[in-house]
Amino acid sequence: MKAEARNAAAAVVLLALCAVPFLAGKFTVYLAMRIMLLGIFAVGYNLLLGQTGLLSFGHGAFYAAGAYGLGFFGLHVSGNPLFGVAAGVAAAILLAILVGYLCVRHTEIYFAMLTLAFGMMVFSLIWNAREITGGDDGLIGIMRSPVSFFGLLEIPIGTDRQFYFFILFFFALSVWAVHRIRQSPFGLALAGIRENARRSEFAGVPVRRYRLAVFVLSGAFAGLAGSLEALLESNARPFMAHWTHSAEPVLVSLLGGLSSLTGPLVGSAIFIAMREIIQRFTENWMLWFGIVLLVIILGFRGGVVGTLSAFFRKAAAPGEG
Amino acid sequence: MEKKGLNRRQFLKLTGAVPLVAAAGSIGGGLVFPKGLWAATPKIKGPIRIGYQAVLSGTLAGYGEFHKMGAVMAIEEINAKGGIAGQKVEMEFRDSTLKPDDAIKNARYFVDSWGADFLCGIDSSGQALALAPVMSQLDRPLMVTHAATEKLTEEFVFRKGIKQIFRNCMPTYNDGNAAAFIAKDFPAVKWATVSPKYEYGFTCWKMFQETLTKLKPGVSFTAESWAPFGTTDFRSHINTILDAKPDGLYSTEWAGELISFLKQAKEAGLFDKVKYVMLPVGAAMDVLEGMGKDMPDNIWISARYYFQYPNNKENNGWVARFHKRWGHYPAYVSETAYSAIHAYKAAVEKAGSKDTKAVVAALEGMAMNSPAGHRVFRKEDHQAIYDVPWGKTKSDPKYPFKVMGNMRVIPAKEYFNRPPFEGPGTTPPFK
Amino acid sequence: MQSYVHVILAGLSNGMFIWLVASGLTLIFGVLGVLNFAHGSFYMLGAYGSFTVLKYLGAGFWTGLLLGPLAVCAAGFVVERFFLRHVYRIALPYQLLLTFAFVLIFDNLVKIVWGGGALSPPSLSFLGGSIPILGRNFPVYNLFIIAVGPAVALLLWALLEKTWYGRIIRASSSDREMAASLGVRVPALFTGVFVFGTWLGALGGGLAVPYVGLLTPGMGEAIIIEAFIVAVIGGLGSLKGAFVGALVIGVMSAFGTRFFPSFDMFLTFILMGGVLLWRPQGLFGAAR
Repeated sequence: MKAEARNAAAAVVLLALCAVPFLAGKFTVYLAMRIMLLGIFAVGYNLLLGQTGLLSFGHGAFYAAGAYGLGFFGLHVSGNPLFGVAAGVAAAILLAILVGYLCVRHTEIYFAMLTLAFGMMVFSLIWNAREITGGDDGLIGIMRSPVSFFGLLEIPIGTDRQFYFFILFFFALSVWAVHRIRQSPFGLALAGIRENARRSEFAGVPVRRYRLAVFVLSGAFAGLAGSLEALLESNARPFMAHWTHSAEPVLVSLLGGLSSLTGPLVGSAIFIAMREIIQRFTENWMLWFGIVLLVIILGFRGGVVGTLSAFFRKAAAPGEG
Repeated sequence: MEKKGLNRRQFLKLTGAVPLVAAAGSIGGGLVFPKGLWAATPKIKGPIRIGYQAVLSGTLAGYGEFHKMGAVMAIEEINAKGGIAGQKVEMEFRDSTLKPDDAIKNARYFVDSWGADFLCGIDSSGQALALAPVMSQLDRPLMVTHAATEKLTEEFVFRKGIKQIFRNCMPTYNDGNAAAFIAKDFPAVKWATVSPKYEYGFTCWKMFQETLTKLKPGVSFTAESWAPFGTTDFRSHINTILDAKPDGLYSTEWAGELISFLKQAKEAGLFDKVKYVMLPVGAAMDVLEGMGKDMPDNIWISARYYFQYPNNKENNGWVARFHKRWGHYPAYVSETAYSAIHAYKAAVEKAGSKDTKAVVAALEGMAMNSPAGHRVFRKEDHQAIYDVPWGKTKSDPKYPFKVMGNMRVIPAKEYFNRPPFEGPGTTPPFK
Repeated sequence: MQSYVHVILAGLSNGMFIWLVASGLTLIFGVLGVLNFAHGSFYMLGAYGSFTVLKYLGAGFWTGLLLGPLAVCAAGFVVERFFLRHVYRIALPYQLLLTFAFVLIFDNLVKIVWGGGALSPPSLSFLGGSIPILGRNFPVYNLFIIAVGPAVALLLWALLEKTWYGRIIRASSSDREMAASLGVRVPALFTGVFVFGTWLGALGGGLAVPYVGLLTPGMGEAIIIEAFIVAVIGGLGSLKGAFVGALVIGVMSAFGTRFFPSFDMFLTFILMGGVLLWRPQGLFGAAR
């Protein structure tokens, strides 16, 4: 019964998202694309933070790997965006394996600091390898060629409306995949690690290998979001790997709520929409943004989604008896 | 947007021109009557909307404020005199935060949501380059007023043909090439640099070296020290220079970092040891005011506009009005912001339309007078050509800061790279 | 010889300068267990506060250095007493997010109050100028910073090791419940330590006024990262570690900058990563 309701809700949301480009203005469509990109980044990231209890400050590096991976692939191999996205995700996975292997031996704040250090190393590398990466100018002029299936079928993604559906496809795929991962035995084992790593180890769970696996998985989603952004904005830039960018999925996961699938998604929407709304009425957006953050942290323990669902559960409880 | 344009034309056909002209006149400024070319072709429906973005947060927030002063003043003056082609000018100003993705978001907001006719601003080169492909999609003119990278105009406007982009501020040519024209007359042969560790710093130093080598074979470049963005402690960089013992120091440090660098270099006695110092952005108002009396004497400085040049009625009058309005002398971004709005005004009135295609065509090759002097938008790359001075710092009892003495002006035509921007004969010196 | 001595001197002054900021950060983490992003904001507020006293009230440098940071303590009090206190019991990321919100708020407030443009203090008459060391000028103020660093370290050591308050603080940081059961008013103690840490950060800011020679909104963001690195390398929560870490980073950066033209934070992050891999608790941190 519950699962059915959830599926129905998901279908309604998906339909609504499909309708956006036909009903909303151009800028809203653009913001929706940015929300979905951040959503992919965050929902993948939250497998690490919310599900496994590991706080990373270095996922911007994998995001950048995705963007630069797609950019280089487009420049040197093929402009087909599907292959480009695959290349970007592959680059992110490779980097995540390397970084993750070194980081997962630690937990808590040490893990956070290690990922921060590696993320910033990647940032510096991109900044300094200017012959290859374009330095601080970044890779510019990444093209949105049509999606081609071996010349048999070509789907153009040049306009924003077309590209919206390209992103929506990956967004839906990502949310579905993360949902399945969370429900799988692997996902439950991750939650076990979060609650008590030692007990998991006694129960025979290879804790460190599981942590590495989820680290790489979340890195892959970061790479996917990065490669899609490179296509959307037609550039890749070093600040994608900067710790301030790595902090974004942390922020939106906390805003929305760590303990649910929808938390990071709602958080992404709040984050982008709120900033946009604040900027409409004041230049002092940082001040108001900071104040709203305070309100959410202190007023909505467990994030917006967590608090609201607890509220509704309480409200519904007496009726059910 | 396309649909709106159609509607507008249909609307014009239906209503006829006469009532619209009257309406335009009355909205614009009460009793002002339309005149000039646009009076005959009343295609313009107001108000005219300009979306401006510059950095308003973080360590360079002062630049955004100076942009804003220039832009606001231009709009106040234009609206007081009846607006552009009889239409009121409106501006929305947004924080660009120096991040390329925020610049893109702002541009899309301006055009797709707010309905901007023209865009203006942009501080960093990275933002300008990232915006380039977006501007051809959004199809609105963008006047860049601060970002200096020559790649924007050479690569994106000239080679890739993104015609929507213009720039009315000095590109890196002044910082690199013109500096070499000044430096060639010094006896200095050994040069060193402390410059920002990003594309802007690298490009300018390379240009300076190449041009100076051509102008004065036999010069050598002995030391480079690259300061990352956000450097506050320059002492180790200064040690590098002191150890290299050059005759000349060239530095494209700018804004607050230049102030820190100059103060620390002065403490370390750098200016006693190195005789010839060149700062291509040293005459920026924030640096002059920030250094005040502590600015060392006899340093060669320049900027993308300097408030005492040209010494004519238009510029002096503008500086006086600016000072009266804001209590500041204009920074170079204030001038470029002010002139950018006036460039749009001139172009719209010349074209008799605010449509992108018409305005772009009007701007191409357009000449205009501005506080910084005579500007011409080069047809090929949309870069404004105008002259800026170099000079040596000296005291002046009239100002609480050092000003330029021994002013020298190299004509921009002599040191601007020329189309097609590759191959022989495209970089100075020209025969 | 001259060259090396001056590189070392530059490294020492830079290192001691970072230490001044890192000390408060480390103290707060050591006792309260909170990583305070907003520490850079206190540094910034300290700088603006001192500058304001110095410039607009016409007082001297010392008065500014005394009053500015004291005023910032009020901000520290508000942050701890009314906000941070409510998130001690929830996960670490929430504490980070809360202090990050204050970074945004303080940066913006500074811009509203003092303007977005850089403020540039006049050069000092006392402690200004420079003296020749091995034939090259070295600023007197930098020598002063090199002296202040160890002085602050000594003060902290004496406070924590030799006073009754210090013993209470150390007891509370190693075991909160135990201290509470012994009658220590832990919340008040935490507020006190947080305010003291704030004062240390603001003092760094006050000292930065002549050292950096420039005040900008957002000036705290660059220094907080350096202070962070230093604190992590030394061992989070260890004051001794932060002191040594600051020296290491300061001198290493000076050598790196002098002998490798393209030196930047890359090497410091490699060092940080290396130390964490080898000894996650840092050079002097206690294993947790």
